[in-house]
Amino acid sequence: MEPILSLHHLEYRRGGQFTLNIDHLDFQAGRVYLLAGPNGAGKSTLLQLLGLLLPPDRGEILFAGSAVQGGAQRQRLRRQITLVEQSPFMFDGTVYDNLAFGLRLRDVRGDLQRHRIASALEKVGLQGFESRQASALSGGETRRVALARAMVLRPKVLLLDEPTAGLDRDSLPLFESCLAALPGEGVTVIISTHDAEQSRRLRGEVLRLEAGRLISPEAVESAMTFSAMEGAV
Amino acid sequence: MDFLTESLRAALSLILALDPEVVGAVWTSLYTSMAGILLAALVGIPLGTLIGVGHFTGRRAVLTLLNTLMALPTVVVGLVIYGFLSRQGPLGAWGLLFTPMAMIVGQTVLAAPIVANYTVAAVTGADPRIINTALTLGAGRLRAAWQLLLEVRFGVIAAVVAGFGRVIAEVGVAMMLGGNIRGYTRTMTTAIALETSKGEFAFGLALGLVLMTVALVVNLFLNLLQQR
Repeated sequence: MEPILSLHHLEYRRGGQFTLNIDHLDFQAGRVYLLAGPNGAGKSTLLQLLGLLLPPDRGEILFAGSAVQGGAQRQRLRRQITLVEQSPFMFDGTVYDNLAFGLRLRDVRGDLQRHRIASALEKVGLQGFESRQASALSGGETRRVALARAMVLRPKVLLLDEPTAGLDRDSLPLFESCLAALPGEGVTVIISTHDAEQSRRLRGEVLRLEAGRLISPEAVESAMTFSAMEGAV
Repeated sequence: MDFLTESLRAALSLILALDPEVVGAVWTSLYTSMAGILLAALVGIPLGTLIGVGHFTGRRAVLTLLNTLMALPTVVVGLVIYGFLSRQGPLGAWGLLFTPMAMIVGQTVLAAPIVANYTVAAVTGADPRIINTALTLGAGRLRAAWQLLLEVRFGVIAAVVAGFGRVIAEVGVAMMLGGNIRGYTRTMTTAIALETSKGEFAFGLALGLVLMTVALVVNLFLNLLQQR
């Protein structure tokens, strides 16, 4: 099956010091992928590249088999890939305004807009939050609204940068159950994480990055086991 | 002291009686300044946004130029534009010199760097996540820039208000490009200069009071915005 996203000979340099270098990587539709690795390994940069928010210095990104170009095509493809940042930004206004932002851009209006927003908020356990001011939300609520704001757009690829870091224990199962349901709807979920257990809970494939490079699956298994043991100690 | 008291009383009478000369100068000042600031905003806000979010070679030089333009004496701006609009100048055929339109052009040139500079400050001080959040939710570059401006709208309004404060109070451009023609291009500031030199102190004082009131309202509005 044609991968939903592919990276070919990808290279991205930042400030002459850090280089992300991936020779080949495919992401299949309707699967969960977890990007693991230490801080500074390039997980967030890779997510920004996959979200088409950064252009690579070399190589190419393919979306459903077509190479991503610039301009209007990039913008059109970006509407099928949504990134939830580690510390999401909420626009000034209500929770509803934030969720409606992307829907308005896609010309989803009226009752359909209201229905989709209510449904997305319900999925993240924030039903009735529509009229709350986004600036007054707690950190955990902000992350959940950011997830709802991305899910309401029904993207083909959902990217999440350490979405559960710092999330309280009560919110975590709900958050992960939302993510776990997405592959069933055909959504590819790519998450950067430091949580070694998350791959088991979400039944995802682990991709480990170190110093901007992907390391082999065997090394991943060993590294994840080591991390889990570290966590247990 | 009697002179000042008497002049103040006479000035207030002129204002309360809506003296046609006073009203005419106030009206000319207000509409030329408003048109000037509107055009300056149309140029300055996009320019400031572009400079604020852009990473391009020469950005620092552009910022230095903007700062220099902000500090230019109004008579120098008037002088340069006079050179363009005078009969022998490259735009002399348009016949704009000594018309309200010439004043509007001058005030636009005067205010645009102020609006652009304040917009740069507002945009660079904004949360760096705004643009990427808008882009990842499906916005194009222009829509994302518009969202950024919405988020920093108080700073952008402050930019426009500061520009308006500069053009309504200036005298150099209005004098050199408008020519201080009674009932046509005479503004509050040019009328104050002329009438006072003719010995009509009370008339000058009346316009001075109106000008101070406008400046006070503008600054109160600016303070209100800066507190938000």
